[in-house]
Amino acid sequence: MGARWTEARVLALAPDAGSARAARSLARPGRWSDLGSNDSLVWGKCQGSARDPYQVTVDLNEPAFRCTCPSRKHPCKHGLALLLMWAAGDGSVADLDTAADFAAAWADERAARPTRRAGEPDPEARAKRLAERESLMTAGLDEFERWLFDLVRQGLAGVRGQPYTFWETAAARLVDAQVPGLAERVRSMGSAVHVRADWAQHLLTHLGRWYLAVRAWRGRAGLSPASMGDLRTVLGWPRRSDEVLAGERLRDRWWVLGLRQDEDERLLSQRTWLHGEHTGETVVLLDFAAAGGSLRVPHVLGSVLDGELALYPGSAPRRVLLAGDPTTTVGDGLPVTDTVLAALDLATTWQAGNPWLDRLPMSLGAVTVIPGDDTVLVDRDGTTVTLEREFDPWPLLALSGGHPVDLFGEWIGQRLHPCSVAVDGELISL
Amino acid sequence: MNWEGLLGTAMVGTGRRDLPADVLDGVATVSAEGPEATVLAAAAVLGAYRRAGWTPPAWGGEVVEPAARDERPVCSPAAAQVLELLVSRDIRVEGGNELLIGHWLATCARAGQRPPARLVVLLLRLATATRGLRDEVAAIAGPRGEWLARRNPSWAWAAPVAATDAKERFATGTWAQRQAVLTALRRTDPAGARALVESTWEQEPAATRAGMVDVLGVNLSDEDEPFLESTLDDRAVTVRAAAAALLDRLPRSRRAARMAQRVRDLEPPEELDASARRDGITDQREHGHGRRASWLIQLLGAAPLGPVPDDLSTADSWVVVGWTMAALRQRDERWLVALARARPTPEVVAALPTAEAIAVVDRESTVDARFAGLLAACPGPWPAEFSTRIVVRLRGARTEGALTLAFAALARNLHHTALPAVESWIEDTPPDKRARRRTLRGLAHALTIRQTIEQEFPL
Repeated sequence: MGARWTEARVLALAPDAGSARAARSLARPGRWSDLGSNDSLVWGKCQGSARDPYQVTVDLNEPAFRCTCPSRKHPCKHGLALLLMWAAGDGSVADLDTAADFAAAWADERAARPTRRAGEPDPEARAKRLAERESLMTAGLDEFERWLFDLVRQGLAGVRGQPYTFWETAAARLVDAQVPGLAERVRSMGSAVHVRADWAQHLLTHLGRWYLAVRAWRGRAGLSPASMGDLRTVLGWPRRSDEVLAGERLRDRWWVLGLRQDEDERLLSQRTWLHGEHTGETVVLLDFAAAGGSLRVPHVLGSVLDGELALYPGSAPRRVLLAGDPTTTVGDGLPVTDTVLAALDLATTWQAGNPWLDRLPMSLGAVTVIPGDDTVLVDRDGTTVTLEREFDPWPLLALSGGHPVDLFGEWIGQRLHPCSVAVDGELISL
Repeated sequence: MNWEGLLGTAMVGTGRRDLPADVLDGVATVSAEGPEATVLAAAAVLGAYRRAGWTPPAWGGEVVEPAARDERPVCSPAAAQVLELLVSRDIRVEGGNELLIGHWLATCARAGQRPPARLVVLLLRLATATRGLRDEVAAIAGPRGEWLARRNPSWAWAAPVAATDAKERFATGTWAQRQAVLTALRRTDPAGARALVESTWEQEPAATRAGMVDVLGVNLSDEDEPFLESTLDDRAVTVRAAAAALLDRLPRSRRAARMAQRVRDLEPPEELDASARRDGITDQREHGHGRRASWLIQLLGAAPLGPVPDDLSTADSWVVVGWTMAALRQRDERWLVALARARPTPEVVAALPTAEAIAVVDRESTVDARFAGLLAACPGPWPAEFSTRIVVRLRGARTEGALTLAFAALARNLHHTALPAVESWIEDTPPDKRARRRTLRGLAHALTIRQTIEQEFPL
């Protein structure tokens, strides 16, 4: 293990702001005993509310956490506090040659687990392939940076005169460099600059975000695992699902808030937004199928899945996979709702964690639908959000009848795309 | 910060314009080499900054009163699904989905239930295009439908009009809008609507005056008689004809009394006097009758009906035609029954109560085109026993045409218990009789859906 981590890198692992705060206040040696660390492990015992102190161990390589406390959060505040003390480097967590028994036992158990299946290529070949991919991506992103520089040097005023192949060619190069996520964004800009009235602002904002991805890639060694996850999503470097399933898990009662399907000429995609009753986390299940294919049967809107999810590395709201078969019950409307301003605050917090986010979940409480050239929703404070232009407001008006309703939707580019509305405790798809 | 300055440089190009020094003032500093990298880095920072700091614009509108409560219970999910499939045309029925949608709406109304709110929009859109369903849709859509219709001009036909509101809209609209306002008001406040007509009557062109008289046909009553009587002196012949057509339906009118005088002896008149012409009698020939007989037919058609004669079969044909016209206009059931017994026609059968109409059809001995015409006119829904009997009779017919001619009525009115009879007919129809098999399958399909509808609405 190389240098000690920074405090920021530790806190980036926190599942939510509450855990980060709790971890900070717990990161004082007074509550702790048996603290120690070696090259790969950090361990300690923390006196909590139970009689026996919790045994806390962190494997720095992944990183992986283990704590005997009953918290559903992962990592829990104890694991984070332990890392904070270790990161501070003030000597409270000593460098030791031998790990405490409980820590060593867990490490052995982990080492004994079959991490590699028989028949899988040897690690050397894998590392070589990985290095090849990374250098291919680096070369592609370097070229993309030069393309961005040319654009800015010559001025954006001219891009509307460019043929569609201008964008297609840049996108195709990114695909060749195994950066398909960024390629997709570039390709869709080809039509956006012609369709949007605010195309110049839109383009400049996105150029900034693309450039940020290039810079982040170059500085990836210093990125937190969450930011690295976000970056991989933007670039389109997918994670294998077995890799995700072997990682962090979160158990909760997950309410199905909204479903959305999108289709373009290549791809069918389906997003299922879930909300954890205890963790308060909003997460998203993504399913893809080639155009013309068929998607996995969606979960029933308004149902509650009791079970474990595997989390993709990244910032909130996180992408997840279903780990195992959850039990399903029926929910009652939307579990939590916000005012418009509170929802915007939350959106901003999420955007601060992941600058590339462009689709944010919003659960709005007691909003009234006002039809017009632009249909708006007004909350009890009189704050409004505007609905997406393409959205047909009449079914929503019929369902609400002018009464305030709870509504879930996706916030994209300062407009809300409604997904579902709660009427008499029933969630109805829009 | 200076987003506009940044955008300006980016638009023109760093090759031609330097980046203003204050672009990132008060926000952040970026480390970037060269002007292009600096512009892009600044765009990343300011883009995020602007997005995060965005607040919704102030809203100065007013929240409208919500829809009134609908006390009717919502229909079953299965019933709602059938309606949704029919309206969205995910299932298609030979002879048109509208038929079954109409049946759904009528059955739902009889059961005192309502469709779920989410389907109200589908119904309003459907009936905007298919005028024939408007009355049923407006009734079934309830307060939620009214509330929606008041918000969407293309659904104005489904919005009841308040008298105060109507005056304003009647004064300023196009003719189509004024007609919609007037029709809607006429449903709830016939006198108010008539007063509205009278308020602008003198200034309206002839075509509009005639159209306004036509609208008074909605909810027509003796209260409209004085106004209609006065319009018989209108300078435009179209207006006079429209008024006469409405007065034909009011046997207690002054005009009807004058007609009664004219037809006392049931003889065709020698000549028409000016007063008869004022009452709208013309030289138009009735089909198959001479000039004088045609006058008598028109006079009888507009005169009050007396007691039904014991034997209608001895009466002159033109007299029967005139009485039939009057009986249809005045909806006189005693007369209609008697006329149907003597000389059944589709028009008369259609105006009869179901039981009487069925009796007329049952009396017909031959299954031919005439029979099909009467059957098609026979109002429904038909009772189970009659329905099965009809299927068996049609099946035994020598000609193909009767089934095709009566198809729409069969699909609309047959009791669903006739389904086995239809299915057995399909089984026994040779495969080469494609057209008949297709017709019968369409019929079976419609009956299956009707069966579901009936099961889902307890009566």
